[in-house]
Formats: sequence, C-alpha cells, structure tokens
Amino acid sequence: MISTFFGLDALSSSSAMAAAFLIGLAFGFSLEQAGFGSSRRLAGIFYFRDMAVLKVMFTALLVAMLGLQYASGLGLITEDQLFFMPSIYGPQIVGGLIFGVGFVMGAWCPGTAAVGLASGRMDALVFLAGAGLGSVFFNELFGVLKGLYTWGDRGVRFAWQDLGLSAAGFGFLLVAVALVLFWGAEYLEKRRTVGGEYWRSPFLRSFSSVMILLALGLMAMEGRVAGDRPAGLQISTSAMLAEIESAKDHMEPEELADRLMRGEPGLMAVDIRPAEEYAEFHIRGAVNISMADLLEALAGRENKGIIVLYSNGMTHPAQARDALFRMGFTNVYMLTDGLVGFIDRILKPASLRTEPLSAEQRARINSWRQYFLSSEKPQPAQAEPEESLAVSQPVAPKWPGLVEPAWLAENLGNREVRVIEVRAQAQYNSGHIPGSVCVSHDNFRGVVGGVSSMLQPPELLAWHMSLMGIRPTDRVILVPDDEPHDATLVAMAFARLGHTRFGILNGGFPRWIHEKRPVTTELPQVEKSQYPVPSPDVFTVTHKEIMEVLKAADHVILDVRPTEYYTGEKVDEARGGHIPGAKSRPYTEDLFKHGKVTLLKPLEELANAYTSLVPNKQATVIIHCRTGHQASQTFFVMRYLLGYERVLWYDAGWSEWASRSELPVEK
Amino acid sequence: MIMKESMGPKPYMNPYLAGVILGLTLLASYLVLGAGLGASGGIARIAAYLEGGLAPSHVGSSEYFGAWGKEPLNYYLVFMFLGVFAGGLISAVLSRRFKFQVERGLKAPRQFRLVLALAGGVLAGFASRLAQGCTSGQALSGSAMLLSGSLVFLICVFAGGYAAAWFVRRQWHD
Repeated sequence: MISTFFGLDALSSSSAMAAAFLIGLAFGFSLEQAGFGSSRRLAGIFYFRDMAVLKVMFTALLVAMLGLQYASGLGLITEDQLFFMPSIYGPQIVGGLIFGVGFVMGAWCPGTAAVGLASGRMDALVFLAGAGLGSVFFNELFGVLKGLYTWGDRGVRFAWQDLGLSAAGFGFLLVAVALVLFWGAEYLEKRRTVGGEYWRSPFLRSFSSVMILLALGLMAMEGRVAGDRPAGLQISTSAMLAEIESAKDHMEPEELADRLMRGEPGLMAVDIRPAEEYAEFHIRGAVNISMADLLEALAGRENKGIIVLYSNGMTHPAQARDALFRMGFTNVYMLTDGLVGFIDRILKPASLRTEPLSAEQRARINSWRQYFLSSEKPQPAQAEPEESLAVSQPVAPKWPGLVEPAWLAENLGNREVRVIEVRAQAQYNSGHIPGSVCVSHDNFRGVVGGVSSMLQPPELLAWHMSLMGIRPTDRVILVPDDEPHDATLVAMAFARLGHTRFGILNGGFPRWIHEKRPVTTELPQVEKSQYPVPSPDVFTVTHKEIMEVLKAADHVILDVRPTEYYTGEKVDEARGGHIPGAKSRPYTEDLFKHGKVTLLKPLEELANAYTSLVPNKQATVIIHCRTGHQASQTFFVMRYLLGYERVLWYDAGWSEWASRSELPVEK
Repeated sequence: MIMKESMGPKPYMNPYLAGVILGLTLLASYLVLGAGLGASGGIARIAAYLEGGLAPSHVGSSEYFGAWGKEPLNYYLVFMFLGVFAGGLISAVLSRRFKFQVERGLKAPRQFRLVLALAGGVLAGFASRLAQGCTSGQALSGSAMLLSGSLVFLICVFAGGYAAAWFVRRQWHD
C-alpha cells in the first residue's frame, strides 16, 4: 500500500518539494506538447476553431480518474492518503464564472501561461503578472469576501454520491459523455476548419474502445468487491497445484512461532476451530474465525500481509486455503501438522524430547514456551511503573490519530498547530503546554431533543471553534489528563465539523510532564476565526436508525459500559441490560497505566482484540455507552486507529434506550 | 530552403496522446504527493512573497497571505510551478517552438491584446484564490477525483468563457 507525502503529513519536506518539481516538469512538458504554449490555440475552444483544450483536458481527466479508481480498487491506495478538496459551492460557482471570463480574455490559464512564458510569449508574461495582481487583490479584499469564501461549504462530497450512483457507474457516464464530446469536436473541426483529422480515424475508434473497456472493467471490479464474489474468478487450477506441489502453501511451526514472537505486522494467525476449543487453548495472538465466516472476515485482506490458517489437523485448513486461493487470495498458508504439530514441535519441553538438542536449541524452545504458554490476558489492575515508560519519538502523526509528545514539542511554534487541553481549569492555571487553551468536554454537550448530554449541533460547535480561533486547516492536538475519553469526546466535536487534522496527545498531560517538556502559566493570544458550519455528520445514529440496522445482516453493536451494567447486575437507569445482540467490550479494556500515565494499549494488541469481536472491517459497528462519553474512546480506536470503515456512534446511549419502553432490551 | 523547412516548429502531439501523458502525470501526483496538480497556488505565493518584499508588515498581518507565514515560497506548489516552467521550456526548445512574440490576430493591435491579457490575468488570479484552485487544481485534479464542487467549477469556467467569448473576439481577427 502506498503512503503519500500528504498521508505522512510531509508535504512540506524537501523530498516532497523535489517530487513536486519533477511532477511539474512532466506537467509542463505535456502541456507544451499539446500545443498549450500558444494562446491562440487555447482560445480556439471558445470559438469552435480548435478543440484541443477539450480533447487534452478531458482525456487527462478520464485517464487520471480511471487510474485512481483502479489504484484504490486494487488496494494500492486508501482514501486517507489523498487530499480531497471540499465542495464550497458559493466560491466555486462565482469563482468558476469569473475564471472563465478571465480565461477567454487572457487566453491563458495559470499553468498554460507558465508554459507560454517558457515558449517566449510576452502575452503570457503579462497574464502571469495580472494573475499575481489578482491574488494580491484577493488578499486585500479578503475581509469582505470571507462570507462568500465559505458560503455553501458542504465538506468533501463526491458527485456519484450526490447522484446516488456508484463511483464506477458515474465514471462510466463521464467516459461516455467525454467520448461524445470528442467525436463531436472532431466533426465540428472537420466542417469548420482544416482540423478534425481524427474524425472516424482508426486511432479515435480504438482509443474510444479502450476507454470504454477500462470503464467497464472498473464496474466489474466494483461489483466483485461489493457484491457476492462469483466463484468463477479464474485462478488456474494448475497454478494452485504447482504451489501445493512445491509446499509453498505451508508454514512450519518454528517459522510461525518466531514470526509471531517478533510481532511481525501484517501476519495473521487464524484459528478455524469451534469457539469452545479456541477458548480452551489457542496459539497466542491467533484470532478465531469459523470456516463459514472466513471469506467475509478476510475480505479486503487478499494479498495483503500473510494469513496462516490452522486447526487441529490439516484437512480443514487445506480446504479453506484452496477455497480462498480460488477467490484470489495468494497470501494464505496453513500451519504444517496443525495445532498438534505446533504443540509437539514448539511447546513440548526440552526435557521430554527424544532427539539430541544443542544448548542453542534448548534456549530457543524455552523462549517459545515462555512466550506461548504465558497468559495472553493482560492484568489491568497491575500498573507498570512509570519509569519503564519509554520517551516518545518525534514521528509525524497520522490524522486523525495519536500525536507523540516529542512531535508536539518540535512543532509548538507552528501557527497551524493548536493545542487544546481537556483538563480541569485549576490544574491548567497552575501549568500548561505553551500556547494551549483549556476547555472542558462538557462545554460541547447539552440537551438535544429532550436527551441530556448530547454532543451539540454543528452550528454551536463551529461557534466554539471560532471563539478559540481554530481554522479548518489547523492541526488540533487534544490533551487529556488521565482519562483519554475526555479528549476523544472533544474529538467527536471535530469529527462532526468535518475537521480532518486532529489528534490525541499519546499519554496526555501526565506523559508531557513525565518527559519534562515545557509548561507555562501564561495565557495564549487567541484571535477569533470564522469556522464554517458543515452539514450534519454521517456517523451519529438515533435509536430509530439502530432498529433499522438490527434488521440488516452485517452489523455489530458494541456496549462499552462496565460489564455489570451490560449484564444488568447494576442499573442506574429506567431498565437494565443491553440492546439485543450487543457485545460487551468495556472501554477500559483498551487502556493500561504506567504510573500516572494512562495510555491506549499497543495497536497490535487492540487490532487482535477487535478482530475477534468484529472480523470484517467493512461491517457496520454501532458503539454506545450511557451518555456517549466512554463510547467516544472506542469510536476513536476503531475508526481512526484500526481503520474500521463504518463505525457509528449512538450518542444518546443507554440513558435514552432504557427510558423508551418500546425499545427491546436483553439481559 | 530544404534546411529551413526541416528546422521549422514540429507539429503538436496528438491531443489524445498528450492528454494521456497529462493524465498519467496527474495520477502520479495523486499517488506520490497525495494531492493533484496545481498552478495558481504557486503564482499566488510568489505574489505574496513579492508583496512581502515591498510591505513586509502589511503582508504579515493580512489574514489570507499572513497565514502562509514568513516564507510563502516554502511550499510544494511553488516548486511544481517552477517545474511546469522548466518542463515547458524543455519541450518548447526540443520542438523548436520557442519564439519571442505577442500572440494575436493579424489585425489586432498589440496593445489591445496585452490589455486583455492583463485584465484576464487579474480576473483568473482573483477567481482562483476565491475558488481555491484553477483549471489545474480544481477543474482537472478535483474533477478527476469526481468531487462535486470541482465539477461545478469546471462547468462554470466554460459557461463564463463562452458567455464572454464574443466580446473579446477581436483580438484574434486576422
């Protein structure tokens, strides 16, 4: 999978600058080759003389669109690695119209004018000077234009969603429209001028066919990913037999043991035995997926990482592996000799082995036994001493996500890096991170629709952000004290606003202190901003929507309250128990402590825990607690840290569910 | 004479082929940078830098340019813009199309053409700041991502262009 400079938050690094220059080279070269170093040729489209602009621009649009959709369909790139511009209709409509007038008057646009200047065109130089002046005018008038600048801000919107189509379906439509335009342009040129040389040419025929085929291929691929996978995806039987022949489909127990102990990312051991047997004993780190659920649970993991299947023996894994191979998985292995072999070759104590062993082999066996026979269950009561906590490294954060104290310390002066401490006012006053403001998570909540403690609607949240001087492009770091879910609740406010770059300080304020980072008692200078109000978010659900989801097949409800509330032993509301079918996963299970520092558990551990609860990352997951507060932490973990795609938040939570007697309850 | 003939400018590339190369460049930009192509952002930052040279405190305190900090040129789009110029130069020289001139219709006065180019530049520069992108950043890069607002921008550019085309046609009269 590709990590882009944007995804790594490294667009301002010198290597990104170099890459941008090289891309610019190719950009300028192709524009000049297309003849866009000539204003006369560019203006031609507006007088139906020379339609080159239409042909070049729309061909480029189609190629890039198809390429991007194939890249994402094949799992090469994910959405979080791409910068999507928001749709802000006011300025885009007004700006588009003004731009069009400027385009036809000047007969250049910014990119082509650069190429025109490089071709010696003095009118391009004048146009560029004008464009610079126009930018300066905009800056001077920004005060009065602000209203228009954010008017009609709808956040990131895709045309296919707005039209109720699939991405590939809309792409096909676009290809069809573009081809009609191409043929029309050729015909027009042929009639009016000397151009039109490609009208009915074999070139344009084959070019059109290739475009249509590529668009159709995309639709077929989308159908395969979304719908039932047809069994007939052709992976040749001989290829499969060849792999079996060369035992490429096996992994030896020793190899699996070593790789599991190293904590290799992307390695997934899957126990396909019944849940009772799994509960009794399993290889440490393995997840339990039944044979019937395998395809669904492993969807999206084909050819990503390594999947090792095991059962007691070899028959079931072999069948499962063959089935997966036919579906296009080439990264599935089975454990040689199954669990029986693993116990014999890995877990059997050295003293019971009949073969002669060297000292090295004995040591290796002992380390295996120590790792795989030790309890996987962490002891939450036992806090590790604070001294054992390693000092953070300045790694660039992934937004939204966790932010390392070392990174924040390096970026404290940056105007676009804003720190919000979600701590008690008195403690903030006696020392806080320089430049930070302090706010209580309860500031963002109120009575909505008769239910208390609801996250406020976007208008109010945007008002809060404006008062704090936060702009949509800022990187916002939320700093909790020893309760990460205070910060994740504020994170929900940012999520509701469609803010893209926010994160939680890993370990919160206590870790900042533990690492002896700077603190101050001075208050920051804050200038009011105008935070735009977006449309409602898509992740908050009501009890009615939950009743709808309960009917759908692929959903999981996670109840993150303490277990005794889930079981109904303890009741603080009208009724006790849980939503029918809900699974219990107390939010505290995701935490551990080093002295005073509360941290989320390591990602690998969280990933394993949640994979056994919700194997399918595309499944609809509804998270709730009593008031939405604790649930915000699990939401943060699943949505942003583990990459579950459809995570929903039932903000009203058990306090509403219990009080509505028409809603079903299970104990 | 034969020599001179062969030294004339080369014909333009097949526009569909040029479009494919441009599209692949845009795709590379998505996959490497994570963002599309852009040109007006580079121009605006160069303008902010130049204005900053004349009136540093004014630019530093202005709300829009001020947000770019003390070094507005330290941005990937500025480097991309320089690349566009360099790539255009290489291509123009290789294809023997480099020529100092003010491009216009034979009957159109040079000054008329230059005034229109300046006014067009001002409008385009202003509008691309307002809409957060130009033909490259919004119309091409955003539309290829199938973003609603970018497609609306693309349609509006052509609507505005065709609406105004008749009024400025004289600059191309031969």
